[in-house]
Amino acid sequence: MLSIKNLDVSIEGAQILRGVSFDLEAGKTTVLIGRNGAGKTTTLRTVMGLQTKTGGRLMLGKTDLDRHPGYGRAKLGIGYAPEDRRLIPAFTVEENILLPAYATRMQRDERQRRLNEVYDLLPQLKTMGDRPGGGVSGGQGKMVALGRALMVADHVLLLDEPFQGLAPALALEYAQALKRLREARPEIAFLITESSPELLSSIADHSLQIERGLIEMEHGEAA
Amino acid sequence: MLNSILPLLVDGLANAALIFFVAVGLTLVFSVLRILNVAHGSFYSIGAYGAASLGLWLVSVGANPWLSYPALLVSAALVAALFGPTIERLLVRWTYGKGEAIQILVTFGLFLILEDLQRMVFGVQSLYQDTPMTLLGVTMVGGVVYLNYQILLIVLALIVLIGLRLLIKRTRMGRLLAAVVADREVSEAMGINTDRIFMLAFSIGVFLAALGGALATPTTGVAPGLGAETMVLAFAVAAIGGLGQIEGAAIAAVIVATAKVLAVYFVPALDSVAPYLVMLAVLMVRPQGLFGVAETRRV
Repeated sequence: MLSIKNLDVSIEGAQILRGVSFDLEAGKTTVLIGRNGAGKTTTLRTVMGLQTKTGGRLMLGKTDLDRHPGYGRAKLGIGYAPEDRRLIPAFTVEENILLPAYATRMQRDERQRRLNEVYDLLPQLKTMGDRPGGGVSGGQGKMVALGRALMVADHVLLLDEPFQGLAPALALEYAQALKRLREARPEIAFLITESSPELLSSIADHSLQIERGLIEMEHGEAA
Repeated sequence: MLNSILPLLVDGLANAALIFFVAVGLTLVFSVLRILNVAHGSFYSIGAYGAASLGLWLVSVGANPWLSYPALLVSAALVAALFGPTIERLLVRWTYGKGEAIQILVTFGLFLILEDLQRMVFGVQSLYQDTPMTLLGVTMVGGVVYLNYQILLIVLALIVLIGLRLLIKRTRMGRLLAAVVADREVSEAMGINTDRIFMLAFSIGVFLAALGGALATPTTGVAPGLGAETMVLAFAVAAIGGLGQIEGAAIAAVIVATAKVLAVYFVPALDSVAPYLVMLAVLMVRPQGLFGVAETRRV
C-alpha cells in the first residue's frame, strides 16, 4: 500500500531520519514506537509532504508521491491527524471535519455520506458538531482530528501520537473508536506513532521501533 | 444645520470609500500572507494611470462615453491579472517565513521599481479623466450641490465590503482562505493548494488597490507620488482598524476620512496630519487597532 524506502530527512543541517524503510499493508495497523525526538512525527510529516526529504522514495501503490505536491496527498487517499490536533479555531467541529472534503472538491453526496460514516464511527462528534473548533478539549480535539482525517483516508490513515495527553477514560474511548474503525474500514492501512508501546499492543499488527532516526527493531504479526 | 453637516458627511464617506479599497486590500494580503506589502500603494497609482489612460484613449477614438465605467473596472482587473500572480510568484513568495525586516526591504525595493516604471511608461505629467464623474451629474439638496459620483463611490465600497464578507463566510474559496489564515501547514495536509490561495489573495489585494486608484481618477486625477501618499494613508487605516480586519478597515477608513475632511473645513493646516494624529491616538490606547486581536501565545 504505502512503501517507504531509505527515507533521509535533515532539518537545519541535522539529520533526523536515516534511511527509514518500511511498508504499510492494506488492512494492517503498524505502530511506530519511539521516544520524543526519535523521528516519528518527521516520518509522518514527510509522507504528507510537509517536510522535505533529502533522499529516499515514497510510493503509494504504483504512485510515486514525489510527483504529487503535499496538498495532493489528501486527494490520493491519505488521511492525517497531527499530534497537536491543529483544528481551525474559527470553524465549527463539523466544518473542521468537512475541510478536507471541501479542499479536495468532493461531491456533495459523497461528502455527506462520508460525514455520516464519521458520525457513525465516532458518535460523540455528532453532538458537538456545532461547537467551535477552538472550544473543544484536547481529548475531544483528537477525536475531531481523527474524524477529519477519515474524510479522505481511502487508503492510508496516519495518526501522530493520538493517545498523548489523553485522560485514561478518553484514551479508552479513542482505542474503542479505532477498533470500530478497523472493523468498518478493513481496507485502510493504519500508521500510528506512539511513545508508549503498551497503549497500542492490542491493536497493532506490526510494531516498529525508531531511535535517532533509524528503524531499530521490527516485530511481526502481533497477537 | 443639515446643510452644513450633509456635505461633510458625503465628502467624508466618498473619501473613505477610496481609502477603504486600498486599505482593505492591504489588510487582506496581510491576513493571508502575513506580509506587510510596502509596494501596495503602487498598485493604486498604477490602477489610476491605467484607468486614466484607457479613459483618454476611449475619448480619443470617439467611443461611447458610458464605456468609461467598464473601463475603470477593466483597468483594475488588468493591473491585478498582470501584476498579482507575477509579483507574488517571482518575488513575494520568497519572503514568506522570513523576518519582517526582509519582507519590508523587498517590498520597499519593489515599490521603488514600480514608481520608476510608472514614470517610464506614463511620464511625469498629471493625467485627468473625469468623464465618469461628469456623466453622472449632480444633485441639489437644500441649495448644496452634491456629485452623484461620490454617492456611487460610497455604494461601491459597501458592495465590496459585503462581497468580501460573503466571499469569506459563504463560499468554498472563503473557507479555504480562512483555513489557510489559521494554519497554513495543516491546510496543506488537508488538501488545500496554499500556494494558489496565497497568489489569489495577493491578486485580490492588487485588484482592490487598483480599483481604488481607478475610481479615484475622475475626482483627483493621477500624478507621480500618488502611490507613496496612498500607501502611508492605507497603513494608517489598516493599523487603526487592526491589521487583518476587513470591517475594521471600513470603519477606520471612515474615521480617517472624516478627520481629514473636518480638518479641511475647520483647520486646513492640519489636513495632512489629521489621519496620523487619529492613528497615534488609537494606537496609544489599543496597540492592536480598534478591531485587532492581540496575538495569543500558542502552547
